[in-house]
Amino acid sequence: MKKLILLLLTGFSTLYAQLPDGKQILDKIDQNLSSENRVFSSSMIIHGRRTTHTIRLKTWTAGENKSFTEYLFPVREQGTKMLKLEEQLWIYSPSTDRIIQITGHMLRQSVMGSDLSYEDLMEDKKLTDQYIAKVTGSEIVDGHNCWIIQLTAFVPEIAYQEQKLWVDQERNIPLREEMFAKSGTLLKKTELSDVQRINGRWYPKKIVFKDMLKEGSGTEFLIEEIEFNVPIADYIFSKASLKK
Amino acid sequence: MIRFLFKGLLRDRHRSLIPFIVTATGVMLTVVFHSWITGVLGNSIEFNARFAAGHVKIMTSAYSKNAAQTPNDLAILGTDTLTRIISEQFPEMEFSERIYFAGLVDVPDLSGETRAQGPSMGIGIDMLSGNQAEIERLNIPSSLKSGSLPQQRREALLSRTFAEKLGLHIGDTLTLVSSTMFGELALYNFTLCGTIEFGTTALDRGTLIADITDVRDALNMADATGEILGFSRIGHYNNEEATNIASRFNKSYYSEKDDFSLLMKSLAEQNNMGFLVEYSSKLKGILVFVFIVAMSLILWNAGLLGGLRRYGEFGMRLAIGEEKGHVYRTTLMESLIIGFLGSMAGTIIGLAISFYLQTYGIDLGPMMKNASIMMPQVFRARITPEAWYIGFIPGVLSSLFGTMIAGIGIYKRQTAQLFKELES
Amino acid sequence: MLAFKLALRNLLGAGLRTWLNVIILSFSFIIIIWLKGLLEGWDRQAKNDMIKWEIGGGQFWQASYDPFDPFTLLDSHSTIPDVLSDSVTNGTLVPVLISQGTIYPNGRMQSVLFKGISPEQKVLALPTLKLKSDGTYIPAIIGSSMAESTQLKEGDYVTARWRDKNGTFDAAEIRIACIYQTNVPSVDVGQVWLPIDNVREMMLLPGEATILVANKEGWKTEKSDKWIFKDQKTLLIDIENIIKAKSFVGILIWAILLMMAMLAVFDTQVLSIFRRQKEIGTYVALGMTRGQVVQLFTIEGAMHSVLATLVAAAYGIPLLTFQAIRGISIPVESKDFGIAMAAKLYPVYSLTLITGTVIVVLIVTTIVSYWPSRKIGRLSPTEALRGRIQ
Repeated sequence: MKKLILLLLTGFSTLYAQLPDGKQILDKIDQNLSSENRVFSSSMIIHGRRTTHTIRLKTWTAGENKSFTEYLFPVREQGTKMLKLEEQLWIYSPSTDRIIQITGHMLRQSVMGSDLSYEDLMEDKKLTDQYIAKVTGSEIVDGHNCWIIQLTAFVPEIAYQEQKLWVDQERNIPLREEMFAKSGTLLKKTELSDVQRINGRWYPKKIVFKDMLKEGSGTEFLIEEIEFNVPIADYIFSKASLKK
Repeated sequence: MIRFLFKGLLRDRHRSLIPFIVTATGVMLTVVFHSWITGVLGNSIEFNARFAAGHVKIMTSAYSKNAAQTPNDLAILGTDTLTRIISEQFPEMEFSERIYFAGLVDVPDLSGETRAQGPSMGIGIDMLSGNQAEIERLNIPSSLKSGSLPQQRREALLSRTFAEKLGLHIGDTLTLVSSTMFGELALYNFTLCGTIEFGTTALDRGTLIADITDVRDALNMADATGEILGFSRIGHYNNEEATNIASRFNKSYYSEKDDFSLLMKSLAEQNNMGFLVEYSSKLKGILVFVFIVAMSLILWNAGLLGGLRRYGEFGMRLAIGEEKGHVYRTTLMESLIIGFLGSMAGTIIGLAISFYLQTYGIDLGPMMKNASIMMPQVFRARITPEAWYIGFIPGVLSSLFGTMIAGIGIYKRQTAQLFKELES
Repeated sequence: MLAFKLALRNLLGAGLRTWLNVIILSFSFIIIIWLKGLLEGWDRQAKNDMIKWEIGGGQFWQASYDPFDPFTLLDSHSTIPDVLSDSVTNGTLVPVLISQGTIYPNGRMQSVLFKGISPEQKVLALPTLKLKSDGTYIPAIIGSSMAESTQLKEGDYVTARWRDKNGTFDAAEIRIACIYQTNVPSVDVGQVWLPIDNVREMMLLPGEATILVANKEGWKTEKSDKWIFKDQKTLLIDIENIIKAKSFVGILIWAILLMMAMLAVFDTQVLSIFRRQKEIGTYVALGMTRGQVVQLFTIEGAMHSVLATLVAAAYGIPLLTFQAIRGISIPVESKDFGIAMAAKLYPVYSLTLITGTVIVVLIVTTIVSYWPSRKIGRLSPTEALRGRIQ
């Protein structure tokens, strides 16, 4: 009897040992995705009900709380700039020569008709600060072995109570993310692909966001060029630079 | 024979003038009552038409399914050509493009940064082309509380309380923050040229009204519009006309499979308005019916009394040998002539008054100086085809019936008796 | 005094003819009041409907609630204060918790307001009893405009998504238990009514509400309270303005109706006086002054309308009261969703309308009676006796 229990216990522990610790994986992901600062240009392809349109952006970010974005395309939006400091967001448009502060409810509005809200864009807190991660199994996504990680929020103020990540076991990059409502309904799905080696880290260059309740093909986000840990002058993250 | 009776009528004013006046007045009142009731009951409908529904409205099929949210990403494209074509195709309607949109109004401080902000509902209408139709429809001139209507591009009107809340004065700059037809962020500067107040909380909280050209620029909607409203040239909503035009339009423009095909809806097909349309027409039916019954009774009474009054004369005529039937028939004929002429005169006068009330209306402006109200302050009558004949029912028939009943006495009584009544 | 007695005797003596006139006149009274009452009822229908469907006897609003700024909804909810909790328990105040959300009918996204209300409430006309369920699904009721714009039918399920008080997304399927038809767009367009317990649970706001709807008037704001009472008058200000404007318009209709009554009076009065020339001659010959004759006829005419008022009151009061209580059915078949709506119109007879009508008709009758008799009084008695007026 004792043996049986021992067997069971060891059996279970070996079984458990096969699945790595979720937090460790998240830490590894952070190593790939987070950086002191970075500069990148990207395109956002938004599939509307009637038309598809593309926006090209150049973004400077430092740490978690500072980011500056300039619109490069379309011509109509050229020169529009967006500055995010902590919880605040300002937008500057050259045509009106105005700096508009986006606050409160406006942050929940969709950005440029995409499946992303300003809030989504601003949400870049580390997953480990908000979620308890537990590996629940493995699955093959796009030919890569992935851990399935169940994320459960431990802070109350959070958009998604639960998320599920499919993390590439070799490259430590999530290839698929699913966001769930408290009730368990799948709300959003993100697919990351075109993972490339950049400055010694793996980075997905294509991200597709999809609101699962809504019809439509979602929003594509393509990284065209990205540099990590390059020096960025502090004045970039000031309101004065919006008007430049 | 008719000529003889006619002469008699003309010469004996008592036999003709008073019944004629009474009939004409009654018919006149009936016609005016009908036109005014039609106008007044139609008021709520017209009001809805002007501010929201049009007599007919064209949208894309996808837009119409979500119309409450004014989804301009589903707007009508190629409107310049379209408006021209449909104006030729449906000359009975006047078409106006309108863009309804939601956004924020943002007010800068000296350095151009946000000082105040508030949610706003915007309406883009034709204000600068020189055509006053839309400005009048939204009753803007009499809703203007300060400043003036937009005279040039980039000028906008704002609800008075909204402007006050944001600390805006005439001549100040404000920025509209909204999203374009393609979902991009839309920022556009306006100069506040005037403040308005409609007297309806919903509209007086945060309405911005600007010329549609500016709104198109702001929302990147070149050659596009959210809605095209059609207003009947007869000046009021006619359900049959609207339904008919809508079905003709939809036959050539609408396809169930294509979300972006164009769909025309009559006013009655929008937002439960069908109920109001039918309700008010039924109510009008009841009111007019009761009025006509009452008026008929009065005219019938007049005819009856008119007949009774002439018993003496009948006695005399029977005494000198006229046949009872002949007396009766001539009396009826006289009544018919008077009824007919009275009804004609009454209808003509009634239509003239109604026409005046339809064209100029009654201006309640001076009576309601302090109450600001969204409804137009001029109330109008409305002449419908029924107005042309509706007065004849009480006018001709009731006095005829009255005379018929009164005249029965001719048969009942003896000549001597009637003759005696002449003496008494 | 003599003139009164004589006038009354003359009237009663004329028998059938008097009664015919009186009945016609009383009938005019009733028609004026009834038609005008119907129109006023129609003007006020919107107001009555709003009271019935939306505002009840007034509402308590949580201090930061602003119905025209949906973004205030994030903050405009509180627990019900102790002073009001008894009234909530006994149903005289109905709490409503309002929050923003999104529904996805056929994959289209539509922002809506979720309004939580007790299924047992009896203050508003909403068919909230349909919000009772066996607990296996979340029942919802929507208005026909909402049903039209979302293409939802009774029994349909639709995905709803919302964010609780922490901003966390949640979603569930809700079942459309009933589609109601109302004339009040503000309880229909862009909103979904759910059981308040569900909304509280969804939002993580147990025991909280945004507004409290009162069953009758007479509440007021308690000092230092987060809840502000908005009385009916405040909530109905827009519609009151419209009614005021329409009442000016109604004056013309009243004028037309009065002219109709005048026509009836004129008709009977003028003719009867012309017929009584000899009688006038006799009066004058017997030594009555012309003034007395004019007075007699004027009183006789006025008495017509007094009698008519009495007669009208006798059959009119019960008739009109009955209608004001029962309402008049207007046969409207609404094609929308095949819901038959009992369209009832409740006539409104204001005191001003009734007294105004009586007084004006009285004055008019008096004038109409005075005018021709004055002319007669001017004639010489011999001519009048011989019946030669013309």
